[in-house]
Formats: sequence, C-alpha cells, structure tokens
Amino acid sequence: MNHAVEINNLTKNYNQIQALKSITLSVPVGAIYGLIGPNGAGKTTLIKALVGSIKPSSGYINILGLNPLTDKWALRRKIGYMPQSASLYEDLTAKENILFFGKAQKVENIKQKTDEVLHFVELSERANDLVRNFSGGMKKRVSLCCALIHQPKILFLDEPTAAIDPHLKLQSWNLFRKLANSGVTLFISTHLMDEALLCDKVTILMNGEIIAVDTPQKLIERGKTVITYKDGGAIKTSTIPSTPEGLANELLKLGLKPTITEVSTKPDTIENIVLNIIGIKQNLKSNT
Amino acid sequence: MKTFILANRVLKQLKGDKRLLMLSIIAPLIIIYFLKLLFDAFPPNVPITNFTIPIGALVVHFLSFLLCAILLVQERTKGTLERMLIGGYNRSSIIAGYTLGYLGLATIQASAVLIESVWLFDLNYSANVLMLLFLVIWLLAVVSVMLGIFVSTFARHEGHVFPFIPLLILPSIFLSGLLINTDALPQWAAFIGKCLPLHYAVNIIHEIIQPTFSLSETYFDFAILGSYIFILWLFASFSLRETE
Repeated sequence: MNHAVEINNLTKNYNQIQALKSITLSVPVGAIYGLIGPNGAGKTTLIKALVGSIKPSSGYINILGLNPLTDKWALRRKIGYMPQSASLYEDLTAKENILFFGKAQKVENIKQKTDEVLHFVELSERANDLVRNFSGGMKKRVSLCCALIHQPKILFLDEPTAAIDPHLKLQSWNLFRKLANSGVTLFISTHLMDEALLCDKVTILMNGEIIAVDTPQKLIERGKTVITYKDGGAIKTSTIPSTPEGLANELLKLGLKPTITEVSTKPDTIENIVLNIIGIKQNLKSNT
Repeated sequence: MKTFILANRVLKQLKGDKRLLMLSIIAPLIIIYFLKLLFDAFPPNVPITNFTIPIGALVVHFLSFLLCAILLVQERTKGTLERMLIGGYNRSSIIAGYTLGYLGLATIQASAVLIESVWLFDLNYSANVLMLLFLVIWLLAVVSVMLGIFVSTFARHEGHVFPFIPLLILPSIFLSGLLINTDALPQWAAFIGKCLPLHYAVNIIHEIIQPTFSLSETYFDFAILGSYIFILWLFASFSLRETE
C-alpha cells in the first residue's frame, strides 16, 4: 500500500456552513504530512473526520484500507490521536493517564511500554507526578504518550506545537521525525507556517478548501528571492523566483560582471509564501 | 474489562479530587443536620419519621445526579470523552464504568445519610429495615447516575446542567409524594409525580418504616426503580454519541 490515508471529495456541512469543501488528498506511508492553515480553516474538522469523531456529509475516507466509520474498531487499534487540547485527567499522574488509554487498547507489557514512551518524550522523572502540576508543554508530551502507547501505524496530531516555547517545539519535531523514521505516518495540523518546512508534504487549507498541496521545497520555489548587490559603488536590487536554477543563473550573471563587489540574497520566508498563496486565493475569490 | 478500568479511573479521580470528595460526603450530612434543626422546631404531633429518610434519599438523588452530570460534561468539554471513544472505549463501557465508579461514592453517601439520620433522629429500625432502606437509597443513586449521564449528553458546558435541576429535581420535592400523598394532588400533577423515580423510592421507604410491613407490597415499586435504571441506561446509551 502506497498511501496511509486517502481522502476523496470529502465535505462536511454544519447547517448552512460548509466546514470542508471537496477535500481530496493522499498521505504516503511513513511521511510527515502537514496540514497548514489559519485558525478556522477546517484543520480540526478534517482530523476529526479522519479519526471517526465526526461524520462527513459526503465523500470517501480510507485509512490503512479501513473506513473510519464502518471499521472503527479495527481502525482504532491502528491510529493514535492527539487532540488540540491536552485532553488528560488532571487528577491522575502522567503514568496513570497513559495506562488508562493503553489498557483500552489491550497493550501487552503495558507498564514497560509506558516507561518507554515516557522515556521517549523525556518525562520519565515526572511519571508519577499529577498532570495538574505540569506545564502546557509537558501536558502535550503526556498527551503524545497517550496517543503512542499502543504503537499506532498512523498518528493524527492536532496542533501539537501550539502554545509551546520554541525550544520545546524543536524537541517535539525531533520526536516526530524519529517516529517517521521508525515507519509511523504522521498527519499533523498546525497554524504555524514555518512548520511547513519540517514536513515531507504539505496541504494548505483555507476556509475548508485545499488551496495548495506541495513539498516544502516546491513551496519555497513559489516565493521570490531579493538579490542586493553593489555595482560600481551603487547598491542595486533584483527580484527573482526562488528556484535553484533561477538563483544560480542570476548569481552567475552577477559574478561575471567585474564591477560587482558585494552580493547578498534574501529569500521569501515560508510564512510569507504561504500567506501570499492564501492572499492570492482570497483575491481571486473576491474578484470573481 | 474496560468497564472496570474506567470505574477504577473514576474512583482514582475522585480520590485525587479531595475537595469534591469531601464536599459530596459532608454536604448531605450538613443538610440532614439542618433538617434535624427544622424538625425540632415542628409541633410534636407531626410524624417527622415519615419525612426523614425520604428527604435523605432526595439529597443523595440530587447530589449523585448533579455530580455525575457535571463531571461527564467536563469530560466532554476537556476532550477526554472524545479521546476515550477514539482510544478504544465504547459507549456501553463508558456508561457502565461511570455508573460503577460513581456508585462507590453513592454507597458512601447513602451509608452516611442513613447512619446520621438514624443517629440524629433516634430512629429505632431493625437491621432488616436498615438494609432495605440502604438498598432503596442506593438504587435511587443508580437511577440518579443514569439520569446524570443522560442529561450530560444535552449539555455543551457545565452551566447547561443547571436548567435540568428545576426540570427534574425540584418537581420531585413537590410532586413525588415526599411531602404529601400524590393522590391528594390534581390528577395531572399526580401523573407527573408518578413519572418521577423518587415517587417509587418514597413509596418503598414509607412501606418499610411501618412497624409491621409486607415486603411484597414493595415489589412493584422496586420493579419500577429497576425499570428506570434499565430505561435510562438505554436512553444514555443512545444519546451518548460517538460521532457528531
């Protein structure tokens, strides 16, 4: 099987509001698949539809060959879900929370596995502390443990790095990459545009609609690079597409001119590129 | 199996939330004490024993309903209910686990209310009668937990539970036969009273606190209380949605 997740023409309506509009995408096995979009784009709705928490209005979902609604019991053993909020029992310890969710999946050697996942997220020393005394970042890591305890083949993580500090964010992405390297497919939603670079493939969602699907590299190539150079004492700039070929050609051209003494490049940030894509889509809509 | 895992978690959670645990045990004791103060001020010819245990049962009924409904709504708002459903717990294991867990608390509440009432009001009941009284209050607590689970499915947040108090609990005080016999009420009000589970618990209590009572007279009311548990369990199972 090449794809862990296949979605075809998925739509979700809430009365008059269309939360998801004809979503079609596929997620390769073992990839980190990013679902990027601003708040209210429909990311959580899509993830909830994928894990079988909401019933789509129309369309087709296939996860590891199973349907989230009709094969829910078979599927729940294969997927892990980390909701946007920590969704933990604050009056229980980290270990008790993980054991509670692990026991439902009949995990063998559950105590050992609990220790392993706690070690994986570097929380072994706080295993027996009440979750209510944890920071937001620590709660997120316990929440990840609860999603991981039964060793799922695919993980659905809804904004796992929202509201945590940059150091912890980096640490979390290192964990995600480790998981992907071990063969787990990760479907991650985020409103942080820079996280697109850390995914293998990205879908940009806006108002319940897919507006772009690409690899991070291809997304960057949609941006522009500003080249600033000193030509005979005068500072000049030129703007070119951020493709490797475009950049190489331009730099070669400048390098051949003997009057040029200094050259610097400033590529568009991924955030700008994504915001531009969203902006272009919005402009197109308002013009039609 | 999942039912016991869930019940164990509920008990652990209650143990962890000492403030809630103490309040839910101490509050009924304080109310029974206030009841004693009120009844002490009544003329001596008022048959207060007819009211003591039924009011104790009402307190357990009300608190079990409220606690269970609010805590289950909290599961919904915090996302743990959704996580349970996606994580392998099914509806029936959630309902059974919750019922079993909260019955631990309801058992403590029922025992505490009964012991305090017997002690404060100097009630002279035989061990058999006390066992039956405990059973009635305990069964009513099961009904209350089921009612709490059912009501929680209509609430998006804790505040939504409160409108159900005047709708479900307050009519029990006035119409269930707790204060006056339902036959003395207008027909329509008596009908409402007979739809309330407290009515059947009060009937049983009134029968078994008689100096000579016939257990067979209580079978019908016990059966109705049992039916309430079954019907509310069905309602709760259907109303607890796995998908939106």
